[in-house]
Amino acid sequence: MLDIQTLVGLSKDLSAGLCIGLGAIGAALGEGYTAGFANKAISQRPEKGGDIAKSMLVGQAMAESAAIFALVIAVLLLFMDVSSAHPLKAFALIGAGLSMGFGAFGSAVGGGYPAAEACLGISRQPTVTGELITNMLIGSAVCQTPAIFAMVISLILMFIGFENEPLNPTWAALIAAGLSTGLSSIGSGIGGGMPAGESCAGIARNPESAGQITTAMLVGQAVAQTPCIFGLLVSFILIFKEPSATNSIVPAIALLSAGICMGLGGIGPGIGNGYAAQGAVKWIARRVEASGTLTRIMLVGQAVSQSTAIYAMVVSLVLIFVL
Amino acid sequence: MENFTEILQLKINLAGIILSFNVKTIIMTWIVMVALILFALLARKKMGLVPNPFQIVAELLITAIYNLCIDTLEDERLGKKYFPLICALFMFLLLSNWLGVIPKLCEPTRDLNTPLGMGILGFVIAQYAGIKEKGLKQYIKDYLDPIFFMAPLNIIGEIAKVVSISFRLFGNIMGGAIIIIVVSYLVYGILLPPLLNLFFGLFVGTVQAFVFTMLTLVYIAVQVK
Amino acid sequence: MAINITGHDIVKAAALLGAGIAMGLGAIGPGVGEGFAAGKACESIGRKPEEAGLITRTMLVGQAVSESTGIYSLVVALLLIFVV
Repeated sequence: MLDIQTLVGLSKDLSAGLCIGLGAIGAALGEGYTAGFANKAISQRPEKGGDIAKSMLVGQAMAESAAIFALVIAVLLLFMDVSSAHPLKAFALIGAGLSMGFGAFGSAVGGGYPAAEACLGISRQPTVTGELITNMLIGSAVCQTPAIFAMVISLILMFIGFENEPLNPTWAALIAAGLSTGLSSIGSGIGGGMPAGESCAGIARNPESAGQITTAMLVGQAVAQTPCIFGLLVSFILIFKEPSATNSIVPAIALLSAGICMGLGGIGPGIGNGYAAQGAVKWIARRVEASGTLTRIMLVGQAVSQSTAIYAMVVSLVLIFVL
Repeated sequence: MENFTEILQLKINLAGIILSFNVKTIIMTWIVMVALILFALLARKKMGLVPNPFQIVAELLITAIYNLCIDTLEDERLGKKYFPLICALFMFLLLSNWLGVIPKLCEPTRDLNTPLGMGILGFVIAQYAGIKEKGLKQYIKDYLDPIFFMAPLNIIGEIAKVVSISFRLFGNIMGGAIIIIVVSYLVYGILLPPLLNLFFGLFVGTVQAFVFTMLTLVYIAVQVK
Repeated sequence: MAINITGHDIVKAAALLGAGIAMGLGAIGPGVGEGFAAGKACESIGRKPEEAGLITRTMLVGQAVSESTGIYSLVVALLLIFVV
């Protein structure tokens, strides 16, 4: 028979592994993508090799920050003191690991796009290297938002005590809270990266309208974070709503299902919002005078493509509150 | 941590029917209304060729939204007809979303009832516009499109629009508020909360107010076409 | 603490889990698809800004059609929650 401390210790180690294991996938993909495009850029303009390599390294460092968040959480988990822990801590730690592990994926992949396009842009238009790097840094910093949300949920799950809550439905709520923010961050992270990449390409093409392009990128990215904000909202409700004790399995499964629903439901709309913003930013760079119309249509298109994330949120809230 | 899920409710028993009021939301809504009326009065004061600052803001806002209505509805008459509604909706939502930036106040849109009310308002007006412009026969016919047994799904699709428009605003504002509270708690209020307040309160608030208004306008435009 | 599991509980729990998965997975496709439509609409407006009205209407109709599978998921999820 497993005693509680062994169980919590086991879940702590498992969760640290999940956290950094899942969290490293995205960074590897994003950085590889950047390196590939940097090579292409150097082959096009070998005399700017130094600048391109520098911007590649800066961009990769930004894309990597999501994986570094995952590393921080994993290390915190590994060295956590669980000698007098409550059994719920075991589930809270698994939730924390899942949240940060999945949450780092999207941001790291998304951060790779602007870095890659900035490298290509430098080879195409070496005179605007400064503007390109600035825009890339802004774009990839906003891409990290979903990873930061996931880290916030992980920290809450790790450091808030659940001693007074009933064991049965709460265990599911804690895992679900991690899944909700973690999975929904994937879409928002990738979706935030798409317009950022396109805006770097756009600035290289049309440096005079860099201001408008960056603004459109920021608006598009901010709206693309919405599915992730919904995921965070559902996680937060799952953590802080105190469920009544029961010995039936049904309420627990309802809460778990709420987390899975919001998590998976956030992926598609996040990526879709990225596509919409990418199209708009691409053409704002080519035709600045239509930027008003384009921004308006982008917002409407993004808002409509979010509706399935909103249905997922409604189903989650029904599962949490109605049942 | 501030207990934000607690809602101050006033329950009135009216001959067996219990009416409950969310006092905080109502007071915040009144604050927004008073601010808007004050703005209107200030903008109208001493109107002239040399405008006062409030008049400039009002003129810019009204021209922009008026052009937006005509562009979206593609009709001068319809644009003029629905412009006052759209403009009022935008100004109300904008100020509501900005209200959370001021300490001790909170956004009325943080309560689901406000966006849901606005969403239902937009839905009813879009249906009214559809019946008025197309005639009842064509209006019903559009619900039976492409085959008659699709009607229930078309109706669900139409109602889902109300759900999506109101939950989008609620989710964004409530999510922003939660992030601000949680992050302030984690970093003990150092540096980050004001920046987050600016981002979620002003930037996201403005974008979401515009999205809500634009979608209401688009729903009307889809119905009248 | 013992968790009682009866046959009826398993059916109910499976239905609820199914509801979550149905809406969650069902939201991915329409989300990406509608976003794709919006992106292409923006590109077309960039090419021909004077046709913005027509393109926007076409985009909205296309998105409404591609959203229908999302609405089917919503209906199935609500049926699983409230009817089963």
